Amino acid sequence: MDVSRRHFIETGAGLGIVAAFGAGSSAAKTPSAAAMPDWHLGYRTAPPNGFDPATMRLVYGAAPQDLTGSLYRNGPAQLQYGMEYASHWFDGDGLVHRIAIEDGRAVHKARFVATKKRREEQAAQAFLAPGFGSLGDDRYSVQGPDDVNAANTSVLMVDGELLALWEGGSAIAMDAETLATQGPKTWRDDLKGMPFLAHPKVEPNGRVWNLAVGGARVGIYRIGTNGAFEDFGLVDIGRAAYIHDWTMTARHLIILVQPWVNENLRPPVAAGFEWQPQHGLQMLIVDKDDFTQQRWAQAPARMFYHTGSAWEETDGTIKFDAVFYEQPVLGVDGGADEIRGQWTDPGPAENGVLTQVIIPPTGDARLIETEIVGEFPQVDPRFRGKARDLVALASGASAQRPGATGLTVQNWRTGQAQSFEFGDQRMVEEFLFVPKVGGSGDADSWLIGTVLNLKAQKSEVCVFDAARVHEGPVCIWQADYSWPLGFHGTWA
Amino acid sequence: MNRTVSILALIASTMIAIPMASASQLTVNVEGIEKAQGTIMLGLYDEASYKGSAAINGASLNVESDRVTVTFEGLAPGEYAVQLYHDINDDGEMNTNPFGMPTEPFAFSNDAKGRFGPATWADAKFVLRADGTTHTITLN
Repeated sequence: MDVSRRHFIETGAGLGIVAAFGAGSSAAKTPSAAAMPDWHLGYRTAPPNGFDPATMRLVYGAAPQDLTGSLYRNGPAQLQYGMEYASHWFDGDGLVHRIAIEDGRAVHKARFVATKKRREEQAAQAFLAPGFGSLGDDRYSVQGPDDVNAANTSVLMVDGELLALWEGGSAIAMDAETLATQGPKTWRDDLKGMPFLAHPKVEPNGRVWNLAVGGARVGIYRIGTNGAFEDFGLVDIGRAAYIHDWTMTARHLIILVQPWVNENLRPPVAAGFEWQPQHGLQMLIVDKDDFTQQRWAQAPARMFYHTGSAWEETDGTIKFDAVFYEQPVLGVDGGADEIRGQWTDPGPAENGVLTQVIIPPTGDARLIETEIVGEFPQVDPRFRGKARDLVALASGASAQRPGATGLTVQNWRTGQAQSFEFGDQRMVEEFLFVPKVGGSGDADSWLIGTVLNLKAQKSEVCVFDAARVHEGPVCIWQADYSWPLGFHGTWA
Repeated sequence: MNRTVSILALIASTMIAIPMASASQLTVNVEGIEKAQGTIMLGLYDEASYKGSAAINGASLNVESDRVTVTFEGLAPGEYAVQLYHDINDDGEMNTNPFGMPTEPFAFSNDAKGRFGPATWADAKFVLRADGTTHTITLN
């Protein structure tokens, strides 16, 4: 950590506090806001119409001249109606953000995904739909998964089409410019309403693979580089393990069957989970060219939400990175308390640890556990499925509040990690690799991500040089307001 | 609609064969059909038959526009409900995705919607009056 750099960033961004109070922040209008801890800003409901385009202020550093594109992000942003809170963080309606960056200028806008759930709950100004943490209102009709689709987890850009992703229902198509909702995406008529996970895997050539999870049956989508549907197949994973993410090499799909099982996927989903560590962490390895060609690998019991990416060595050994937990987190109680402003330090047992999984051609898998605590592992999109050095993740944990406090880049080849610690005043979210123009290695990248500045009560977009993360941000753009914490994004 | 007419004729002839003391007429309009192709498969139920597979009466209606109509004659006044689906590809089945969710449009009388299953009898039932009733269902 570079203390002087951090101090400068704190001081510089601190100027925003006066403006925030002077302008009368939205926090003051929320009846319960005064009694809330400062970090509850990250769980506050966004304005009903989202955010109109607004230029963010460059408050630190100089913007890279070659950084041109848009950071799209998604996250739950309707967490309260009146005095009623959502039952779980995962059930908030998806708010899709676009931060368009060009010529050193960043413009933010955001729109809610207009799902059935969103439309009906807005009309009633109440939570109605069943979901991850909610049984829902009896009067709310549910004729298929998309009737409870919160569209709040991630985004995917396929051949210019923006998709808001959830995991239990369809991807929802949106206009990439206006962020207007177009409706559920049907890849093929007979696949209407099939789930489409929020963690599709995109090959460096643009081909997209993704899963549809329905208990022990898992569907596999293959979508061409032009966005055209190519193939769909089904595999059996043996039990209804919770699958939020998975991973992929150039030749194989790797479906992680964690021992966190939910045989009854009826709402509230969170109530149906069972930790069955006796099964260990099993991994189904599927040939991308022939889904019937499969083999299993076994690792010690771990729970996980997210992987980085995988690759295959010449002898067939598979390596991938993931954040692993010793036991389930966020499933039952976690994710419900935070949106009410309640949080107690769960301690190290609930920390996610960056881990490399090594699956030999035969025999059990081996885990290489680092000491890096974090979440949202990301790799350079040019190296998805290929051998690479780096993985970046939001890192660190505070004893004062939920969320990450820093950014860490681990180099698997050297075993060295670089970190930048923002401190307790910022909640750090996912950072994405954006290849530098003319660069070739994964260190030749910018890392771009969002940070919630609790001191200024404003949201920020930070850029780091992937090769020099420890030196701190290259630049920070700050909005004139804050938006709630989100989950995942994409750069396009 | 020629096919509708022929079905009406069929139903009418059946009804004429079994004259009823207090016969009433039910007209069901189906609107909001997205694709002008295939067949609307419509079943008419009373309370006893609603949860079973056999309707007390039914019609298969050729779709050539965004709406179809069918009239049932010779029904006893009372409570009824309708279940229907749009057999878009005319394969005679209500198609589902690999996880068993319907991929063809379906609806219930009163435009009732289910909650993790078909609409309930209580939500879908309507009254057929002695002097006849017209009931409209909108697909969406």
